[in-house]
Amino acid sequence: MRPRLLVKKSASDGRNGQTVTDENDIKGEGPAPPGDASGTPPATAPEQSAAPKTPPPATPAAPKPAAPAAPSSPPAAAPKANPLTAPVPSAALDRIREKFSDQVIEVTYYASEVTVKLKQERAEEIWRFLRDDPGLRFDYLSNVTAVHWPERPKPFEVVYHLFSISTRQRLNLKLDCGEGEQPPTASRVWPTANWHEREVFDLFGIRFHGHPDMTRILMTDEWVGHPLRKDYPLEGKPEDHMQLRDVTTAEHVYTYDKSSIKGFGWKKEVEKTGEGRG
Amino acid sequence: MFRTEEMDINMGPQHPSTHGVLRLILNLDGEEIADVRPVIGYLHRGVEKLSEHRTYAMIEPLTDRLDYVAAISENLGYCGAVEKLMGLQIPPRAQSIRVILAELQRIASHLLWLGTHALDLGAMTVFFYTFRERELILDLFEQFCGARLTYNSMRIGGLLEDLPPGWTDRVRHFLTIFPSRQKEYEDLLTVNRIWLGRTQGVGILSREDAVALGTSGPTLRGSGVDYDVRKAQPYSSYDQFDFDVPVGKSGDTYDRYLVRMEEMRQSCRIIRQALDRLPAGEVRAKVPKYIKPPAGEVYHVVESPRGEQGFYIVSKGSEMPYRMRFRAPSFVNLQALPTMCRGRLIADVVAIIGSIDIVLGDVDR
Repeated sequence: MRPRLLVKKSASDGRNGQTVTDENDIKGEGPAPPGDASGTPPATAPEQSAAPKTPPPATPAAPKPAAPAAPSSPPAAAPKANPLTAPVPSAALDRIREKFSDQVIEVTYYASEVTVKLKQERAEEIWRFLRDDPGLRFDYLSNVTAVHWPERPKPFEVVYHLFSISTRQRLNLKLDCGEGEQPPTASRVWPTANWHEREVFDLFGIRFHGHPDMTRILMTDEWVGHPLRKDYPLEGKPEDHMQLRDVTTAEHVYTYDKSSIKGFGWKKEVEKTGEGRG
Repeated sequence: MFRTEEMDINMGPQHPSTHGVLRLILNLDGEEIADVRPVIGYLHRGVEKLSEHRTYAMIEPLTDRLDYVAAISENLGYCGAVEKLMGLQIPPRAQSIRVILAELQRIASHLLWLGTHALDLGAMTVFFYTFRERELILDLFEQFCGARLTYNSMRIGGLLEDLPPGWTDRVRHFLTIFPSRQKEYEDLLTVNRIWLGRTQGVGILSREDAVALGTSGPTLRGSGVDYDVRKAQPYSSYDQFDFDVPVGKSGDTYDRYLVRMEEMRQSCRIIRQALDRLPAGEVRAKVPKYIKPPAGEVYHVVESPRGEQGFYIVSKGSEMPYRMRFRAPSFVNLQALPTMCRGRLIADVVAIIGSIDIVLGDVDR
C-alpha cells in the first residue's frame, strides 16, 4: 500500500536527555521569578513536597527524577543565580570564540538558549563557518526577525535562529544595526532568508546588503512606513498614517484627504522621502 | 513568420485552488512554467504588532486566527513559549491532555488538507469522506472548549478546565472507527492511477533544496529529511510517547501525501497511549493572576500540522511582550513553491500548492 515510504524509527537522541535536565533546573525555580525573593529554600521546599502528590502511578518516569534534581541546585545558588539565565554549554559558541574571538560582542543565556551577538563585519564568514563546519552543521535557518529598540544608539537588532538537523542543536545569533545601515544578507548562505529578510525590510525598514529582491512582501508596494517600528502607531486617524505611494511614477504620494467630497478621496502630493521602490 | 514569447498570467488572489487569497504571477512558456512569483499579504492583519499591545493572556485568542485550521497547535506553541519564558512547570495531566488535543488537531487538519487536495485534483468523493470524520473531531473539540474553529483551548500554565465527563470515551470511539475510515480514503487514492499520474514525480523538492529553503513539516519530510520537532526537541510530554516519524524518498507530491497519511496513523497511536496513561491531578499550574514574565527572550518551536511553528518572545518584564514574532511554517514552505513548479505545467501548480498545505492566515499573519 505504501510502496515508497520509508518509516524511520528515531531513537531518542543525545539532545533529548540534555533538554530534560535543563528543564529540571527551570522547574525548581519555577515559582521564584513571579513569586518573591523572601526565602528561597523554604519557598522551594513546599513546592517540592507538593510535586510528588500530583504524579500519578502511570507516569512516574519523567516527573519523579526531576523532583530530586531540582532542589539540589536552588539551595546551592540560592540568592543570586537565576536558573533561567544560567549559562549552558554550547559547542558552537566555543568554536565561534575560538575562531572569531574578536567578533563576539555579547553572549546571553535564557531558558537554556544561547544567543551570541556578533559584529557585522565578518558575519557572513561566521555564518558559512557555522553552516559548513562538520562538527556544527547549522544547515537550517529557522527564523530571521528584528527587534526595534528606539532608545539605543543602534536601534535595531536582527535575530537569526539557527538549527542543526544532524546534531539537533539550536543557536541564536544577533547583529546590531543602526538606522540606515545595511547588514549583510543571509540569503547567500541560507536561501530561506530571502523572504524572512523581505519581511524584516517591509516591517522594520532594514535593507539587507546584497539581497536579490529587496521589496515589500506583506504590505502593499505603495505603503509608506514600517509598521513594526515602535514609533509607528497601532491605531489612529487615517490621515496620520494612511499614506500610499504611487509606485508607477515613484514621484508622488497619495494622502488620504478628509476635506474632499464626503470625506473620502486621495490627495496627490509630491513625495519628500525619495525612497524608491525596493 | 511565427514568433514565441513568454506570457505572465495571474493565478489568484481569487482562485479556488489557492486555498485562500494567494496570488501567483506565473511566467509561462507555452503551458510550461518558467517562473512563479507568489504575491502574499492579502490577509495580513498585523498580529505581531497587535500582540505588542496586548497582555499575555489576551494574545492567545489572536494565535487562533493565524493558522485557523490548526488553532490548537498555535495555542500549544504560544502557551509553551510563555511558560518557557516564565520557567513554569506544567502538571503532567495538563501536558497529556494537550498532547491529545494537538494530535486530534493534526488529524483534523490533515483531513481538511486531504479533502481539499483531492478536490483540487478532481476527486470529489474524498472531500465528503474526510469532512465526515473531521466533523467528529470538531464535535470533540466543541465538547471540550465550546468552539469549533478558534478554540482558545489552553491557558498559560495548563488548561482552563479538566476534560468533560465522557470525553475520553468519545475519543476512544473515534479511534476505533477512524482506521477503517482512513482505509477508505486510501482505497480511493493511494493506488489510483489518476492520482498517481497527477502526483508522482510532480513538484519534486530535493533534500538539499528542502533544507536550504527552510521548509518544515511534511514538506521537508517528504523530501527525506528526518526532522520532526516532536522527536528532535520534545516539548509538552512528547518524549513519553512511542511513535515513528514517516519520511519520504523522492520529495514529490505523492510522497508528501504518503507522509501525511502515515502521520495520521501515528497521531492515533500517540492519542491511544496518552489515553491509556492519562495521569490524574491538576490541570493548571500555580500561575500569578497577572502574568509578568521576567525580562528575557525565548524562541520556542512546536510541530504544527504544517511544520515548525516558532514563537519568539522578547520580554522587558512587563505584562505585555516587547516583541512577538510568529514563525509561520506556511510562509516558509510557500517560498519553496517556485523551486517545485519550474518546468512543470499549469495544472501541476494546483497539485503542488495542495501538497504544501498552506493556510493563508498563517502565511500573512
